[in-house]
Amino acid sequence: MSISTPGGPQRRPTVVSTGKKPAAGRPAADAKAGSGKPATPQRSGGGKGPRKPITPVKVSQGRPWGPIALFVAVGVLATAIIGYGAWATFKGSQSWQDKAAQIEGIVNFRKTDPESISDQEHRAGKIEYKQSPPVGGPHNPTWQRCLGDVYDAPIANEHALHSLEHGAVWLTYRPDLPVADVEKLASVIRNNDFMLMSPYEGLDAPISVQAWGYQLKLDNADDPRIKEFATVLAQNASVEPGVPCSSGNYTTGTGTEPRELEPSMGG
Amino acid sequence: MVDVATALQDPPVEERTGPAEASRSPRALRYLTLALAALLLLGVGWTAATLVAGRAPGENSPEAGFARDMSRHHAQAVEMAMVAYANGQDPAIRQIGYDMALTQQGQIGQMQRWLQEWNLLPTGSRPAMEWMPDGITVDNNGLMPGMATREQITQLHEAQGAEVDRIFIELMIKHHIGGVHMADGVLKASDRPEVARMAEAMKLSQQKEINELRKLQQASS
Repeated sequence: MSISTPGGPQRRPTVVSTGKKPAAGRPAADAKAGSGKPATPQRSGGGKGPRKPITPVKVSQGRPWGPIALFVAVGVLATAIIGYGAWATFKGSQSWQDKAAQIEGIVNFRKTDPESISDQEHRAGKIEYKQSPPVGGPHNPTWQRCLGDVYDAPIANEHALHSLEHGAVWLTYRPDLPVADVEKLASVIRNNDFMLMSPYEGLDAPISVQAWGYQLKLDNADDPRIKEFATVLAQNASVEPGVPCSSGNYTTGTGTEPRELEPSMGG
Repeated sequence: MVDVATALQDPPVEERTGPAEASRSPRALRYLTLALAALLLLGVGWTAATLVAGRAPGENSPEAGFARDMSRHHAQAVEMAMVAYANGQDPAIRQIGYDMALTQQGQIGQMQRWLQEWNLLPTGSRPAMEWMPDGITVDNNGLMPGMATREQITQLHEAQGAEVDRIFIELMIKHHIGGVHMADGVLKASDRPEVARMAEAMKLSQQKEINELRKLQQASS
């Protein structure tokens, strides 16, 4: 109501004479906009009018295009910038868990089967795992070095799993994968901290990549999800944040049999 | 008011009486428009300024590159220093090994914390060393300046007695020279206070350690 007051006294007669009230009878904000427009042209027409009293033409020309254009331009700019800011903030603040969940085909055992990965005990000898390759469970006291190490022979689950606990991403592939494909996989892993790869007998897919509690099986070495998985989960998937990937077991000497080291120094 | 009312019913009258009355409204409208536009522009400017100035280093920034690459560079030094600490013959080597391993592992933690604060992943999507202002890149093995090859690290692991000290000194001097170089690089490229402070500290302590290692090298030869 108060909104329409400024123009009210002037407009009320208009209503009386033209019977335009129905249009202004819509919601208050609308009424202001609606009635503001017809009023202005008449006034500005009147401003120029005294010299040439040909009103009808000037009525339609009188709209304040300048301010309208300015408003629209600034409005669009403001919306764009604020929108971009909001989008960037949203994108940037997405957690690694959200990013992981967006990788197509990823299995998150932390959600689907948390009990299978809840045991983090250190244990000597061979251990049976629910998943293949394992993504969680008890493991050997020695981890496998994961400073972007590319192992050309199979390694022990029990060591690799300890690396996953430290936050490593372990890329495994069928031993019969073509050499060119193995090299493509190695280019993702090599020289990246908290990553390691090794051939793996008996995989149910040509390639399987895993982090603690996460797994993704793939058919193709060119699949961009391999790098996505590795980039998003390396270090983030650690259940012991801040622990290193350096040292540990760095050979393939004992194959898939875990190796018990004297001092926990590597070698 | 009443004048206008009649004026609207009778156009010719409005032409004469209108201007004085009605011209105030367009002017007010113009001022209002200008004021609102100024307010909007201020808002836009402020948003843009916050986006640009208050923004954390981005994915391809030198700061992010440094934090990621130096973390990897440090990780190898930690491994070497731990071997020196465990297997070194000279107590001075074991002592410096302990010092370096803990210092550098601690610094890795700090650099990783930056990346978390900047909402960046620990692993970058660009090649290592790309952020360096003077175009120094990784070598043919993908190793950053000063880093040892895997074979050299294995040699160090397998060495015994005085050999441990000798290999460690040699590899670590080279490693530190590379590290100082990278710290210099980020100091040229960044003025983030936390990054500059850390890079300065790394530079100083690693230069000091290079001198110490050189002294130990001379003493043993």
